[in-house]
Amino acid sequence: MNRFVLYLLICRVATCLVLMVSALLASGLVLGEEEAYTETPVTSEDRDHWAFQPLKRPALPALQDTERLRNGIDYFVQARLRTEKLEALGEANRRTLIRRLSLDLTGLPPTADAIAQFQGDKAPDAYERLVEQLLASPHYAERQAQHWLDLARFAETDGFEHDKLRKHAWKYRDWVIQALARDLPYDDFIRAQLAADELTPQDPDGRIALMFCLAGPDMPDINSQDERRHTLLNEITSTVGSVFMGLQMECAQCHDHKYDPISQADFYRLRAIFEPAVQVKRYVSVEALRETSRSTADSHLMIRGDFRRPGMVVKAAFPRIVNSPETRLSDLPVTAKTSGRRAALANWLARVDHPLTARVIVNRLWQSHFGEGLSRTPSDFGLVGQAPSHPQLLDYLATELIRRQWSLKQLHYLIVTSATYRQAGRVADLANSEPETHQLTARLDRSERLDPENEWLARFPRQRLDGETIRDVMLAVAGTLDSQQGGAGVRPPLSKELVDTLLKKQWEVDPDPRQYQRRSIYVFARRNLRYPIFELFDRPDGNASCSRRNQSTTAPQSLFLLNSRFSLQTAQQFAGTGLSLTSDQEAFIQWVFQRALARPATVVELQRALQFLKDQANRAQQESRPSGQLALPVPVPTRLNPYQATAYTDLCLAIFNLNEFIYVD
Amino acid sequence: MMNPAKQHSRREFLLTAGGGAGAIALAAMSSAAGAEAESANPLATRPTHFAPRAKRVIWLFMHGGPSHVDLFDPKPELVRHAGKPVPESFGPVMTRRDVARNPLMPPVKPFRPRGESGLEISDFLPHISRHADDLCVIRSLHGDSVNHPQSVYQMNTGNVLMGKPSVGSWVAYGLGTENQNMPAFVVLPDPGGGIKGGPPAWGSGNLPAVYQGITMRPGTAPILDLHPQPEVTTEQQQTTLQLLQHWNRKHLQERRGDDDLSARVAAYELAFRMQATAPELVDLQRETAETHALYGLNDPVTREFGQRCLLARRMIESGVRFVQLYSGNTGGWDAHKNVAQNHGDYCRRTDLPVAALITDLKRRGLWDDTLLIWGGEFGRMPMSEKGTGRDHNPWGYCAWLAGAGIQGGRSYGATDPIGLRAAEKKVHVRDFHATILSLLGIDHERLSFFHNGLDQRLTGPAEANVIREIAG
Repeated sequence: MNRFVLYLLICRVATCLVLMVSALLASGLVLGEEEAYTETPVTSEDRDHWAFQPLKRPALPALQDTERLRNGIDYFVQARLRTEKLEALGEANRRTLIRRLSLDLTGLPPTADAIAQFQGDKAPDAYERLVEQLLASPHYAERQAQHWLDLARFAETDGFEHDKLRKHAWKYRDWVIQALARDLPYDDFIRAQLAADELTPQDPDGRIALMFCLAGPDMPDINSQDERRHTLLNEITSTVGSVFMGLQMECAQCHDHKYDPISQADFYRLRAIFEPAVQVKRYVSVEALRETSRSTADSHLMIRGDFRRPGMVVKAAFPRIVNSPETRLSDLPVTAKTSGRRAALANWLARVDHPLTARVIVNRLWQSHFGEGLSRTPSDFGLVGQAPSHPQLLDYLATELIRRQWSLKQLHYLIVTSATYRQAGRVADLANSEPETHQLTARLDRSERLDPENEWLARFPRQRLDGETIRDVMLAVAGTLDSQQGGAGVRPPLSKELVDTLLKKQWEVDPDPRQYQRRSIYVFARRNLRYPIFELFDRPDGNASCSRRNQSTTAPQSLFLLNSRFSLQTAQQFAGTGLSLTSDQEAFIQWVFQRALARPATVVELQRALQFLKDQANRAQQESRPSGQLALPVPVPTRLNPYQATAYTDLCLAIFNLNEFIYVD
Repeated sequence: MMNPAKQHSRREFLLTAGGGAGAIALAAMSSAAGAEAESANPLATRPTHFAPRAKRVIWLFMHGGPSHVDLFDPKPELVRHAGKPVPESFGPVMTRRDVARNPLMPPVKPFRPRGESGLEISDFLPHISRHADDLCVIRSLHGDSVNHPQSVYQMNTGNVLMGKPSVGSWVAYGLGTENQNMPAFVVLPDPGGGIKGGPPAWGSGNLPAVYQGITMRPGTAPILDLHPQPEVTTEQQQTTLQLLQHWNRKHLQERRGDDDLSARVAAYELAFRMQATAPELVDLQRETAETHALYGLNDPVTREFGQRCLLARRMIESGVRFVQLYSGNTGGWDAHKNVAQNHGDYCRRTDLPVAALITDLKRRGLWDDTLLIWGGEFGRMPMSEKGTGRDHNPWGYCAWLAGAGIQGGRSYGATDPIGLRAAEKKVHVRDFHATILSLLGIDHERLSFFHNGLDQRLTGPAEANVIREIAG
């Protein structure tokens, strides 16, 4: 650890001590007595921080050898590689690319036909056409929406004791999917979620978009409804700060931020924007923001974040550090019915000269493709957040987004068509092995040694699929994925042990079994109980905005994929689908590999798999259990005896458990 | 601006401290050493900050809120003022069900001095009373919410809001575990139904999922998906496992031993070992008839909780770090209507098994370095509710600690004369947590996890104090 980090830590401990002392002092004060509050001014030094600098389009670095570069992104990455004396590995082969791209953009594996077509397409723009096709697929938005729902701490219930159903919550999930599908420009995407009622009152879906702010946990039955509203407002303020601006404002609800130039008053000024739109009624779940009148109530700074201790009066305003030159809310026109504060906030965030909005979202998009953002703290662009590895590239992408009228699809297109994205992660996946293999191996050795975290991107970072995608891919390869879109959350069967942890009637299984095979995004999101495979693979719990999922590797994950009813059933269907196409063992094995791994089996793998089918069939024969007790493929193949047939299920189950199945090169 | 080299180190720090697999940052200040010592196995045992008094924990969580004034906190004044309202000198009090003006209700059963120490415990708990000289009863515990879920979260995670890491997760993160065939943190829920607030009570919050509580049950299927489906035999599964691990190893080899892929190969091995170990661990037939009798397994009233107490001992003995048992279904000890009946039922179910657990830990040589915790999410009001019940009371209540070399036969702190609020040597929930960590050799200020730009701690940013009279 270097001295700088040590210094940061010492500062942190020191400020904690200060906090503790001030807490002690404060505890001696009588409740309700106003504490003197003096706001620390924002200095020009504060404004020097990279994220608060005005957004300017950087010139492309001058490079000599540009032959392998495909777009602006590559210029910045290449320039950095030069400085680091590293060399990019080179373009990946077609089968690696199509699997990566399909899973990344749509969350589904490529079909055998798609692979064959892409591999046979000799046109120079074959890859770009594939990208366009995937971006136009309805599955694109179903995949991308999950990233946003993580940020929106979306769930369809309240959480806490009663975890009551929010009947209309699914409509917000569908709204996000539809907005991404039709490529609603990101500035309008923000406007709709913060102020659709004020800005586009004629839009029937506006009210649904407004559910974003109140999508978090809530306790409608709490004794003090004042406390409830206070908690909700503070939560909205923190969420809006982190999601749209990458500012961690949460701690400023109790005291000035210790590192960032965000004061406690800044927090409550931002909160004041939402105050007229949040009303609570005991026992009634919150849904969407609703502002019914021009509020005249004063807003206060709440001393130490305590709902019982209103301090000085504050006026709604934007955080000072990103509001220069100052835009005042009072200068803005207001609509007749409401305060117009949220409209002002949304329009201010969507300004092309806002230093954070575009930087924050392009970093999130980058993270969705490379596993890590250019800044690896995507919701903290403050002083203790991480500076971007390629600051100019971040600004280039941010200005590109604005140039392209905030089109997220175009930004995805730009990123995935770069040579940086198209590179291989290992020598064996290269499109052509030039120069010599040993030279390429040396190149990779060097980048792994000098850049273990792959910050400079001299190779493509290997990534694990998330739980939602693993489930979708299993259903897709088994041929049972139901492509129905939208609608209320689906409740597939759940083991009794899990249902028992809930209150009665909190997981009523859908009567129609076809619904169990809907895409993961449509599975009912109960805040107090995440669907097992999602939870096991690190789905966030919906209690706070999540910008970057943990990635854990645990034994219960293995137990699930190996032993669960879902895995076995899906393996039976996978085998059944294959056997209805071919009864030839070799052809079956090749079909399975192609479908699940997007490649043919090698000769050695083929031999091993054939041997496995034989061994498992022999063992089953010896055990000679009645066929009703075997995991037969579905539909049951007629031309095989049950012992032979069950071996095919075993093979498919093994495939689901491969690292290759859930990792993407 | 940082220079690139510094940025890089900082990134390494973030990754070690901030949550990748195998991320360990026991002590923020010593994470320079921590970064180097980072282990590929997130559950490997790790050194404590100072010499621990306890190596493992069993937490008996009485869900619903057991009544301190009826169990462990005798209040003669409550008898004297029975039937009268709370004297005005006590000031206004916030209650969940508006019981502030209800008449005071005396303890439902008499208290008596017990053991050599004379520690007073009520007649609700004759068996635990036999161990009075082992218990240190904290009588001045207090929390911040009159509601169940918020208090369940606070007692488990230090925060009234849901979604923070639980004490068991923090301990697993801080210390790892001694049994690599089992999860570090095991939860044994009440089979009667879910607790108020649900599984987030044992969640790992923003710590990696490997540290969350894994629920286990007695019986043949103690962990979800531990065994293959009935259509798949053990031999059949093993052959499948061999095939997939063979291919996984080859895949790993072709990818230069990538850490994540290698961790996943190891996870399948652990899963396989758990399949063998866990059923053995939960197999109570391996215990003698005498032990069965001790825990009350022959009596239908005590059998269920007795089984789980015995299970807890078996887990702890096998090296599991942290075991939490819940007593009480969704309602549990929540005696709004009738304390005598509700607590009568729950005490009959749990009293003997808890006493047996103490006896058993002692005779197996586990007592001195196992911390035993008993308590709920809050206590109950001195006023009555609906005549014979009591409402929630987070302002003052009891929990007891035992084992771990803690001097027993005593109480620590006190509530006011009627048991309404903590009054002497007050112990906030975060002090309670700091003390638990301290007994385990962990400094609560140094056990942190970098998340969202801040070092998160179990005890949060506010001041928390270790109770030195208990933890030394």
